[in-house]
Amino acid sequence: MRDLLELSVSAAASGCIYALVALAYLLMIRPTGVINFAVGEWAMVGAFGGFLLLSKYEWPYALGMAAVLGFMLLVGWITERIAVRPLVERGAPLLAAILALLGMLVVFREGISLGFGPDPHQVPEPVSFEYLKLFVIGATLVVFAAVWLFFERTLWGKAFEAVALNRRAAALMGIDLRRVTVASFAGGAAAAGLAGLLVAPNTSAHYLMGVPLAIQGFTALVIGGVGRVEGALLGGLLVAFAEQLTVRYAPLPSGYAQGVPLLLLMLFLLVRPTGLLRARA
Amino acid sequence: MRSALGWVAAAVLLSAVAFFLSGYYNDVYRKLLLWIALALSYNFLFGISGQVAFSHFAFYGIGAYAVVIFLFQLGMPLPLAILAGVLVCSAIALIVAIPSTRLEGFYLALATLALAQLFIVVLNEGGAVTGGTGGLVNYRLPAIFGVYITGPWYTAVIVILVLGTYALLRHLDRSWFGRACRAVRDNPEAAAAMGVNVARTKVIAFTLTSVLAGIAGMVYAFVDNTVNPPIFGLENAFLLLFMVIIGGSGRHAGAIVGAVLLYLLPFVLSPLIGHHHALVFGALMVVVILLQPRGLIGLYDRYPRGQKAH
Amino acid sequence: MTDILEARKLTKRFGGLTAVSELSFAVREREILGLIGPNGAGKSTTFNIIAGAYRADSGEISFLREPIAGLPPHEIARRGVMRTFQHNLPFEGMSVLENVLVGAHTRFGGNLFSRKAAAEEREQHAHAERLVEFVGLGELRYASVDRLSFGQGRLLEIARALAGAPKLILFDEPAAGLTRAEAQRIATVIRGIAERGIAVLLIEHDMHFLLPLAHRVVVLNFGAKIAEGTPDEVRSHPAVLDAYLGHAAAV
Repeated sequence: MRDLLELSVSAAASGCIYALVALAYLLMIRPTGVINFAVGEWAMVGAFGGFLLLSKYEWPYALGMAAVLGFMLLVGWITERIAVRPLVERGAPLLAAILALLGMLVVFREGISLGFGPDPHQVPEPVSFEYLKLFVIGATLVVFAAVWLFFERTLWGKAFEAVALNRRAAALMGIDLRRVTVASFAGGAAAAGLAGLLVAPNTSAHYLMGVPLAIQGFTALVIGGVGRVEGALLGGLLVAFAEQLTVRYAPLPSGYAQGVPLLLLMLFLLVRPTGLLRARA
Repeated sequence: MRSALGWVAAAVLLSAVAFFLSGYYNDVYRKLLLWIALALSYNFLFGISGQVAFSHFAFYGIGAYAVVIFLFQLGMPLPLAILAGVLVCSAIALIVAIPSTRLEGFYLALATLALAQLFIVVLNEGGAVTGGTGGLVNYRLPAIFGVYITGPWYTAVIVILVLGTYALLRHLDRSWFGRACRAVRDNPEAAAAMGVNVARTKVIAFTLTSVLAGIAGMVYAFVDNTVNPPIFGLENAFLLLFMVIIGGSGRHAGAIVGAVLLYLLPFVLSPLIGHHHALVFGALMVVVILLQPRGLIGLYDRYPRGQKAH
Repeated sequence: MTDILEARKLTKRFGGLTAVSELSFAVREREILGLIGPNGAGKSTTFNIIAGAYRADSGEISFLREPIAGLPPHEIARRGVMRTFQHNLPFEGMSVLENVLVGAHTRFGGNLFSRKAAAEEREQHAHAERLVEFVGLGELRYASVDRLSFGQGRLLEIARALAGAPKLILFDEPAAGLTRAEAQRIATVIRGIAERGIAVLLIEHDMHFLLPLAHRVVVLNFGAKIAEGTPDEVRSHPAVLDAYLGHAAAV
């Protein structure tokens, strides 16, 4: 029983990390349609920000975290300006932006590898180790609640929704598409950066940590459905529980557990590509 | 007849190069040729048929592992092992392509991304069959009619692979099938109205190019005489995409230029920035997409194009 | 003359709205049949059902006496029904001539590697060149399609549809968005197509374009047929005047 409880807390904590990455995707996909695989590298940048400020310069955690998130907003903004806006303005197909962001993915990763070397770097935990998982869960819930309120209760959130439904109509209504796009990238980068910061005490900051996170987050998004914010959370938790339950109970070598989310991803893409939760009409 | 002579001349010339290269440079040359073969078939999939897939390099790996496993674990004779490898690649390609191409959007990209990752997981966890993280080693190409093909002679086999791939894809590209692929890429709705079966065209293009990648992988298996998981990682799937886009997607010449440039660039760059050449690739990718969407071959197009009637 | 395409009791609903209701009509060999009606009369829905883009809720369509309702668009093209698009949908990465060659897709046999394939390719190439000449884009045959004006794009749509050697060609508002001169040119081309023995079904809401061109006209309003006959008969038909004048007053 105790075993099951421990497993649940641990799965919930990694599920929350996936959920944050899924949220980062979702924030950008909904208004722009762009699947940005660089979210994993953003998480890595967040983790290295944590290493720099919290480990190296020993800032207090809250201050360091705020600075990292602020920096991530800037990273998102710059990414959009470089790799997305010029293409949107030229009327290039969506695919061009997605491919340019793949180029940025490599630039981020190699840039970090160049600056910090190939070795993993320790990032301190915000609270003592036994409460770390609860902290991750709590922080994620706060973020999801805030994003949910933003979409449901604020005018800006409605603007995002309108753009998600119909770009042309939204533009006619006087919604500034460029601002919504920039905001979605900044917000996506902050969500991904937070995921990186929160996962780093366990995994360390490492320049190759991005792509696995990007894929797990994506799986969570596909399972939960792109239509609703709650879907990202649900999807993240499902992926993590599936993973950990397989490791614990299935008669398979533990390495195969990594394959579970991938099989889930393929299965959902083939059987139910809209995900579990559908967009509200 | 004249064109057949041309192909033979090209094969002799490209193979002859290998006889003048020392061991190390022969190895570089072989891998360059393999990258060109892969870039050509990936260009047909991505650039001509418009399908965004990340599985191409995984199929290269599937082909390589398959032929080694069939030959040395199951003891099949070489022709049968090659045939079985082709069948495995076709079957996997069909399983992924048939459901993915029914759906609009980027489902194929995501499903193939998952496939590429899953392939690595299976390689690492495959126990004795795949050799786990260490892969499979200590094997050599069986004798063909009593002859062991080695050294520059094996390079000639690779030359034939590249030229065969190129000849086949060029022929397809200039036929109604190539036009159907481009039509599906540019506008599926209009393509269907012209009588093109969109889903079938996509599935055929995906399966065919994946099998070509698999065959290149079978040839590769006897270049290093080892196959192991790190060789077939997602990194190289990205690199292949970068080659095609930077060179100029949709054009055979573009794929060749991209493959040559991105394969040789690290040799030039490594004295300057060590192993961080990928940084240059990423930046180059962004710059090309922003400034020269037709790729480097697009720069060349600015010259008068009187001969382009074909 | 015999009927080449026959629609019987086509009905299509979108939610609670009945877009097409119990519509029956026939296209005869070698004729230009106009399907006309005010906006929202169900013309486009009918067009899309015939072209295979929509599926009718009930009713039948036969082409050359074979049922075609519910077939996918590429099957309908294969049987000899080609179409144009109102908003011009060219293949952007290809030249004008290559676009037309895609239109000939159904004319090619299967085997790509046979000796016949090369001859077939040459033959279709020559045929495509003639079609490009026929619509008046000969000078632009090797040009990339993004260099065409909207009106030239419409001519390309027509050449591309003709390349499939259709027995029936469907035009979706061919004059929409064109200048008067361009529309006249399109009308001349359409007459030329009918003279070649190809039946034409034309969807149009502009009476001034359609009436001088069509041999017969079917008038729709609110998804149902309200009149059918020669342009002269239709012009003076009270139900048509009613439907059109009511709308014309608003225009």
